[in-house]
Amino acid sequence: MSNISIKDDEVDIVIGALEPDLTYFLEEWRPVFSRFHLIIVKDPDLKGELKIPEGFNLNIYTKSDIDRVVGSSPISFSGYSCRYFGYLMSRKKYIISIDDDCIPARDSKGGLIDAVAQHITNLTTPATPFFFNTLYDPYCEGADFVRGYPFSLRTGVDCGLSSGLWLNLADYDAPTQALKPENRNSRYVDAVLTVPAGTMMPLSGINIGFNSELVGPALVPAFRLAKEGKFRWETVEDIWSGMCVKVVCDHLKLGVKSGKPYVWRKERGSAIESLKKEWEGVKLMEEVIPFFQSIRFSEEAKTAEDCVAEIASLVKEQLGPLNPMFARAADTTVEWIKLWKRVRAQ
Amino acid sequence: MAAAAPPLKDELDIVIPTIRNLDFLEMWRPFFEPYHLIIVQDGDPTKTIGVPDGFDYELYNRNDINRILGPKASCISFKDSACRCFGYMVSKKKYIYTIDDDCFVANDPSGKQINALEQHIKNLLCPSTPHFFNTLYDPFREGSDFVRGYPFSLREGVPTAVSHGLWLNIPDYDAPTQLVKPRERNSTYVNAVLTIPKGTLFPMCGMNLGFDRELIGPAMYFGLMGDGQPIGRYDDMWAGWCIKVICDHLGLGVKTGLPYIWHSKASNPFVNLRKEYKGIFWQEEIIPFFQNATLSKDSTTVQKCYIELAKQVKDKLGKIDPYFLKLADAMETWIEAWDDLNPPTAK
Repeated sequence: MSNISIKDDEVDIVIGALEPDLTYFLEEWRPVFSRFHLIIVKDPDLKGELKIPEGFNLNIYTKSDIDRVVGSSPISFSGYSCRYFGYLMSRKKYIISIDDDCIPARDSKGGLIDAVAQHITNLTTPATPFFFNTLYDPYCEGADFVRGYPFSLRTGVDCGLSSGLWLNLADYDAPTQALKPENRNSRYVDAVLTVPAGTMMPLSGINIGFNSELVGPALVPAFRLAKEGKFRWETVEDIWSGMCVKVVCDHLKLGVKSGKPYVWRKERGSAIESLKKEWEGVKLMEEVIPFFQSIRFSEEAKTAEDCVAEIASLVKEQLGPLNPMFARAADTTVEWIKLWKRVRAQ
Repeated sequence: MAAAAPPLKDELDIVIPTIRNLDFLEMWRPFFEPYHLIIVQDGDPTKTIGVPDGFDYELYNRNDINRILGPKASCISFKDSACRCFGYMVSKKKYIYTIDDDCFVANDPSGKQINALEQHIKNLLCPSTPHFFNTLYDPFREGSDFVRGYPFSLREGVPTAVSHGLWLNIPDYDAPTQLVKPRERNSTYVNAVLTIPKGTLFPMCGMNLGFDRELIGPAMYFGLMGDGQPIGRYDDMWAGWCIKVICDHLGLGVKTGLPYIWHSKASNPFVNLRKEYKGIFWQEEIIPFFQNATLSKDSTTVQKCYIELAKQVKDKLGKIDPYFLKLADAMETWIEAWDDLNPPTAK
């Protein structure tokens, strides 16, 4: 139990519906979700009505809402990217997002894990990106900064994003899962830690929380595989936006945490089938690593919006010539910022 | 059925600094007995250190250190466990495991005794991943792997130079924290090993530490502490900052996390405060120094890196206190002594 009082009306839970029947998903999460406002965004490619159980305080957005708000735009909200529309429409400070094929996990003592509470705790306690604490999160009960940790760095910085993990089906790419089809993550690591400044990480969109006031625009639905699909093995949208968020946080001196909470990820899809698809985008992602590692923002970039605008022009200038997918990503990013500003102004 | 031979039995030395009898080894016997021990006896050299029967060891007291190193013995601390680094220098093995004599075998959450040495060996024998953070921690551990989005070009990893273990029960806090939280105990077992990313410093604790002596040994100097020195309890910290800068430069990895040992003794926080006092202030300048330290492309060996670092310590930290001028000299003396005792073998 965290000591932080969760201000319920500061939280939105954004769910991208890639399957029409959310009954099982929402019933499993009811004990955790029921006190919060939910934003459910239906994948615009999904046919048929959504099935949602009673008793939740929610807004549902479908293709027609997306079309109405966004108009014609290079931004695609198809598949997993539909949740970005939810981020756009939310007016809350904290946003939690969980894939619709995940249910609450249990910790090593068998207790139900309140993933939302843990994300809120992560987001509302300081992060420590400038020096590694060997006892992990120094703000959690029973831990502290260790001997040798500089005192001037012990106040920490605000946490912009909280990246959670998964038991059962881990977020592996298709080749890894195909090679080890029986591999299931059963190891519960009882820790949260700050990913150090200057270090890149693969952000999995499956189970995240973020401070929308601080980093909202930096989760950019800009880069997708040519055949971005409906299984996580077939997507890179979160990986790209995760790299954007990390460089933005590093520049703005915000923290990114990784670790708890865990969710239980159900079996879905076949890694081998996903392997058969085209992997053009995956190879391209390798090439962007040095780009992100060497991004330097100008002194004038003081907000996430400023930083994202600079990312767009850097991508256009440095990566655009390498492949049209990058030029498209740059244009999409520019459109995203315009959209973000326009919706916020209303 | 014959049990498998203990891993690295003839390639690893266990270095233990002590001023008292080593009864704690009884608990470690099942795990340590096959290995050779190097005991560095601090304090009064006339005292006899009792070692339980059956252990194969060599013991060095202050007289031995003075005899072996001559004037260069000045770089080895006296009346401080920092003297343990003498053990690293005289060892002829590839790997070192060092442990404090108030550290015992811990149990994992299932109640099973933890073979800390075995875990350190696993950590050292598989690669590190300092260039990109893996959210599932050590991808080479059984049951783990690289996650989606982890660049394929970085999945080979780099050699692991250091394995930093943790402690259950008495946590390794500084004196101010100990004074404020005298009853806090570390009871959370975090089932992870992870690589500390490149460019990130950490506080390295020497209580439960393994390293590859061939990869990083000469940088594992634990500084000038104890008798006649203005500072204590920063020996392992100093070594940790030096090795991290050098590992980052040479493309080597540093891991932290498992294994846990059971730390039984809380040292006196008032005594600790007196030892650490200057360090608490000096640290604020030392950390930016290490964070900004760069080594030249010509520094291609650990020794060259270390000498270059020593010069930078002299230039940039010397103005904080004359202690750092002494320390920089001692760093150079250490390398000279290391090379004397470990001449490059003709191939």
